[in-house]
Amino acid sequence: MAKSMSVIELDDVVKRYQSGEETIEALKYVDFSAERGEMVTVIGPSGSGKSTMLNMIGLLDNPTEGSIRLDGRDVTDFTEDELTEERRTGIGFVFQDFHLLPMLTATENVELPSMWDTSVDRHDRAVELLRRVGLGDRLEHTPGQLSGGQQQRVAIARSLINEPDILLADEPTGNLDQDTGETILTELTRLKEDENVAIVSVTHDEQMLDYTDSTVRIVDGVIQEVSRE
Amino acid sequence: MAWRNLGRNKLRTALAALGIIIGVVAICSLGMATVALQQQASSQLGDIGNDVTVSSGQDSDTDGVTQDQIDEIQNLVTDDQVVPQKTNSTTLEARNGEEARMSVTGVTEASALYNLTTGEAPDRLQSGALISNDTANTLGLEMGDPVEYDGQFYRVQGFIESEQSFGPRGGGELVIPVSGLSNQEYYDTVTIVASDGDAATEIGERLDNQFNTEETEELSIQASSGAQNVGGFLDTLSTALLGIGGISLVVAGVAILNVMLMSTVERRGEIGVLRAVGIRRIEVLRMILTEAALMGALGGLVGVILSLGTGMLAFQMLTGNAMGALDWSSSKYLVYGFGFAVLASVLSGVYPAWKAANDRPVEALRG
Repeated sequence: MAKSMSVIELDDVVKRYQSGEETIEALKYVDFSAERGEMVTVIGPSGSGKSTMLNMIGLLDNPTEGSIRLDGRDVTDFTEDELTEERRTGIGFVFQDFHLLPMLTATENVELPSMWDTSVDRHDRAVELLRRVGLGDRLEHTPGQLSGGQQQRVAIARSLINEPDILLADEPTGNLDQDTGETILTELTRLKEDENVAIVSVTHDEQMLDYTDSTVRIVDGVIQEVSRE
Repeated sequence: MAWRNLGRNKLRTALAALGIIIGVVAICSLGMATVALQQQASSQLGDIGNDVTVSSGQDSDTDGVTQDQIDEIQNLVTDDQVVPQKTNSTTLEARNGEEARMSVTGVTEASALYNLTTGEAPDRLQSGALISNDTANTLGLEMGDPVEYDGQFYRVQGFIESEQSFGPRGGGELVIPVSGLSNQEYYDTVTIVASDGDAATEIGERLDNQFNTEETEELSIQASSGAQNVGGFLDTLSTALLGIGGISLVVAGVAILNVMLMSTVERRGEIGVLRAVGIRRIEVLRMILTEAALMGALGGLVGVILSLGTGMLAFQMLTGNAMGALDWSSSKYLVYGFGFAVLASVLSGVYPAWKAANDRPVEALRG
């Protein structure tokens, strides 16, 4: 596909950390891109730099070198407040351990990213998203009353509330059993088409490769292999 | 949202609120108790405390204060009431055979000097008499009964509160119109009723400058300074008590700081998620400050209610009037206490809130 279609692009990205006396190079000149309606899986051993890469894509961290383009716009040197704004409008997150707020109901958790924004009422969309992930009968349950798979589906609904361009998933099946994991992956596959969203996930889980459109293998901060199904 | 966050760890919230409550109760009830103490002290000492008593000085040619001198005093003291009195003594005999020796005071402006238990002291006493409660009891006198002085009969119009015997006007006392003592040319004493102890001292100095020199004392002027000393002592006492209350509030503030810090550290990951999904820093800041303010308001409210109870108890015990606690002079401490609770809570929320809001989400999410 043409490069201009990419919703997120990493270009020669380097990330170095200072750890005591040592400088750790977590990412070494990484190129990466993802398109709408595509699921890309980043796979690699722990410490390979895949989480750092996800943080770059999710605009949670600035690169040391190289540039990041979101929807064609250069966001490399954005301030923390500008990045917050981009995350708010363009990026959804799904975490390994769900990270739902325990005192809020499922619906409120889904509404959370827009809760402080009084200009929009996302309640209807929140209910609609929960129905679509099969939790129409659990709207008023708190996370403590939901199973792991149900909580992750709430998290997925939450990540989609602001109609993002990109959905980032950090080990989305990591805390779930095989069957539940598969349900979640089926869900994600369906949503990427319905919502026309790029899904980038990071995982150890080989079963994810059955659902992915393209796989990026990273070792020691260097991309080893890109394969497309 | 903030409310529910507080609800999550009820024990921690309750403990922090308890700290605030203790602080508020300490500062409010100490403040109110001081006011009660002041009221009680001034109601007992008040009348002598605010008076300037003028009598004939040792170098005076006349055996008393002359009408000219009174006019002069009145010109000097325009704001306060000047009450000239003539005094004598007499023995009253009752129908039941009881006798009582007492002082007789001839005064017109009776209401300025006397509090009555029964009846009402007239602003201008023209006829009739007032008599000490105790003496009236001894003699079996009732309202409307006649008493005799110097061949004249006066009807009893009221009974003087016997508690006032604490002052120099005390003892058994009969109060009649000044015309009843017209055989005395001069006034024995002139009382000036000042608004407070400080004013009394100031008036005393002014009169002293006017009438007396270093060598000669035309008028003897006594501004009672006892009440002033008592007032000064009460001020010191109330400062000390409020100081103790202040320390309690500082301790409470530190407790809130600790709780807020703990709760933000505990929720670091969660706040990281909020930041990751695009909640702005200012919004995180506001959320945590709201939590702190809510906690302060909650603790403050309970504290105020408890303090009101304590304050009313203090007033009941010291002044016998529990409702005195609702008067602004004492209830203002409730407002201060509440304000301080909210302020201290918000202030101790600032650092944890700032810390949480500025944590980089990627760091917070990692652990």
